Order: sequence, then structure tokens, then C-alpha cells
Amino acid sequence: MLESSIPETVSFSPSFHELAIDRTIVERDLGYRKVPAPEIVRQVIDEILPEVPLRLTIQCGFRILPLELVSLTNEGILCGDVQISTGPIIANQLKKSKTVALFVSTAGPLLEQWSQQLMAEGDMLKGFLVDAVGSEVADRTSEWLEKRIAEHVAPHGWAMTNRYSPGYCDWPVTDQQKLFSFLPPRFCGISLTPSSLMIPIKSLSGIIGLGPDVLRGAYQCSICDLKDCFRRMDESELATEQR
Amino acid sequence: MWPVIPIIDAANEHFRTHQHLREKPMNEILESLQRCVERGKVNIKSPYPPDMKGQDGADELAKKAIEMGVAPQDILSKALIVGMQNVGVRFRNKEIFVPDVLMAAKAMAAAMEHLKPFFKSDELKHKGTIVIGTVLGDLHDIGKKLVSMVIQGSGWEVIDLGTDVSPDKFLKAVDEHPGCVVGLSALLTTTMVNMETTVQHIKSKHPGIKVIIGGAPVTGEFAAKIGADHYSPDPQGAVEYLNTRCTPN
Repeated sequence: MLESSIPETVSFSPSFHELAIDRTIVERDLGYRKVPAPEIVRQVIDEILPEVPLRLTIQCGFRILPLELVSLTNEGILCGDVQISTGPIIANQLKKSKTVALFVSTAGPLLEQWSQQLMAEGDMLKGFLVDAVGSEVADRTSEWLEKRIAEHVAPHGWAMTNRYSPGYCDWPVTDQQKLFSFLPPRFCGISLTPSSLMIPIKSLSGIIGLGPDVLRGAYQCSICDLKDCFRRMDESELATEQR
Repeated sequence: MWPVIPIIDAANEHFRTHQHLREKPMNEILESLQRCVERGKVNIKSPYPPDMKGQDGADELAKKAIEMGVAPQDILSKALIVGMQNVGVRFRNKEIFVPDVLMAAKAMAAAMEHLKPFFKSDELKHKGTIVIGTVLGDLHDIGKKLVSMVIQGSGWEVIDLGTDVSPDKFLKAVDEHPGCVVGLSALLTTTMVNMETTVQHIKSKHPGIKVIIGGAPVTGEFAAKIGADHYSPDPQGAVEYLNTRCTPN
């Protein structure tokens, strides 16, 4: 039974190497999917990447909420007496879940500081590219963590949904406060500002539905209504992304 | 009798020839300067773009244009602004991406250094002033910086107040820059609400001040709801609004 093996929280510190981030991944994230990135962008990314591991404090972790604490509604998840209002889009994706894993991941504060320093010195391009690498690290750390969660639940015959974060698909960012209330203070070194911004900024948080009957779908932008999102991809871009 | 008409014709022809000789290099240098901005060619030393390696960049061409006697206004409006506008449009169309815009802005800035004395002497004037900042509680800076650079490249003076800017700080800046436009940025749905407070705070004292807003979670409906004058999903949209709807200082 999964219930008997549910730990309070689990945390990890994967290395940069384990995240397998290379230049092409960063280029693609910058938008260069149909056209190649300019040579100088490639050069600067190549210059940045060897320095990145020295400026990282990657941490990530999760907590699987006890089954008896969780009930799913059309609007989100009721955890004890706390209503997490993911909104109907995410609630629909979670509907077959028995419980949820709350997760966080962070690249730490140093990349962000490096980026700000470069920009203050007038090197906007390198500062921006360091920032982009920081976003990629936080994102890839969450992906890496998903695999650990999958390994954790697979022996019990359970699967997991995609991960969902406050701020997307109509889930209010203010719910970060509720999500973090189920985690230890400063879990993985992450804290929240009153406006629900995570510090360090290069951090991610969210939920993943778990259960024997849930499915993990392909990444899709069509379920989200942030039409002007800078990361929004059309169908052909998504197809390229998933190959 | 002297053949008056042929002499005038000859003089006109002579003038046209010389004007042509003068204008041709002037037009060429403006076109080259525009190309440098669009391609992000900062100066002769910069190796980027590879096909322009060893050629003069925006820095050298702006200096040469001034030395040749090209009017500073022409350098600004016929080369730099046109170049940056094309960059803004291509960015909107997803033909180019943030790094390309940053490189273009760097080339633009290199050329603008040579125009600074003309702004100081009032020979050149900005189209207007925009006070811009990320609202209270929000620390996201890059999107706002990008918008600032594109707006600056379109001939506007930009006063960047930074991030986590309180309504009072915006108001103080508006007091210091009468007739300015205000630009508010937010990347979080939680800080979007502070846009409303800021708009109200500014408009209660300066009802005529135009406020434009932008950021990932922001929409046109939200702009209308909080009393902002305009929402733009991209930097070029902000530039177009400023150029068409905002009275210069």
C-alpha cells in the first residue's frame, strides 16, 4: 500500500550534469525552434554553461499528501479544510487521482545574482542568457524530480499526471501560500513573498496527481488560456518539442 | 543676346548633380546605420554578425554621419528609429527573439551616444517621456527592460524606476516629469492587482496622464477594468500606441 509508505517529505540535490542541459536546449527555450540562433548567442551560451555548475545550489523535493486528507472537487482539491482552487482546467486533469504530490524545485539564488550583475554592468545579452539558463535549470530540476516521484509510486502500481503550477490555467498565484502551508518552512531553501513570489526567483512549485488510473499527457498549450504567454507553442512547435 | 534659359538649365543641372553627390553618401550611410541596428552590429570590433565582420558598426557610422553633416534628426528618425521599428515588428511576428532585440538595442545605444550632445543642446528632442516600472511586490525585470529598450529606440525618453515600485514612487516620478506617459509591468496575477492601485493613485492626482500596462497575465479586458488606457502584449504595440495616441511633451 502506498499509504503505509508515504514519507513526510523527500528532498534531493541533483547535480547540473544530471539535468542534461546543453546549448540546443537553451536555444530552443529562447524560441529558436524554426530558425537557428545567431552565432553570438551560441558563443555566449557556450561561455556561460561551464560556469553554471559553480553558481548553482539545486534543490528539489516533494510531499505526497495522505489519501485521507485529499478529496477532489470540480474546482480543485480539498486538503483537510484547505481548498486549493486550481480551477476547472487543472481539476479536470486531476480527476482520477487518489492523492497529489506537492513539489518544489530551485536553481538557488546565485545564477539570478550573476544575471543581475551582468545586466548592471551593461552586458544585457549575457545577463539575459544567464537568466534563461536559470529558468531552464529550475524547469529541468522539476522534470528530474518527476522521475523520482514516478519511481516512488510505480512499485505500488500508481502513475502520475503532468505537473501543474499556480499561475497557469486559471490557478491563482495566491494559492502558493496554501500549497506551501503543507510543506516545511523554507523547504528546499524556498520562501514566499507576501505577493506569492518564490525566492529564489528561479524556482518552481506545483502539484502532480497520483493514482492507479491517472494518465500523463503530452505537454499542451491548448488547455491554457494565456494566449499571449511567451512560452506558448503552436501545434507544429509542440510536435517538434515532443520528438 | 545671351542665351539665358540654357544657362539656368545648366546651373540647375549642376546643382542637381552636386545635390545628388551629397545626398547619395548621406542616404547610403543612413541605410547602413539602419542595417547595423537591425542586425545588431555595434562597432567595427564586434565579430557579430559574421557577414559584417570588419565593417563599420552603428558606433562608427553614427559618428561619420555627423561628421558628414547629416542632420541629427535624420540620423535618429531615418536610420535608428526605422531600424528599431523593424526589429520590433519582426519580434512581434516571432521572426526574431529576445537576444536579437537585445543586440539591436545595443547597436542603437552605441549610435545614440553620438546624439547625446544634440539632445543636451535641444537640437534634438525626444518624442516624449515614459516613466516605466514593475509594480509593487513584483521583482521581474527583464520583460520591462526589453520594452524600455524598444521604446527608447523609437525616440522616447525612458525613466526606468526598476522593480517593486510603489504607487507613491510612480506618482513622484510623474510629478517630476509633467506630461509623461506611465508604463506598468507585472508578471504575477497577485501583483496585477497593484496595477489597479497604481493607476488609481496616479489618475487621482493627474487624471490626464496616460497609463499603459503589460506583462504575461495582463489582458486588454483587465486594462479596461482598472482604468488603464492601453494594454500591449508586445513592445512594438506599446511603441505604436505612444507614437499615435500620446501627445509628446
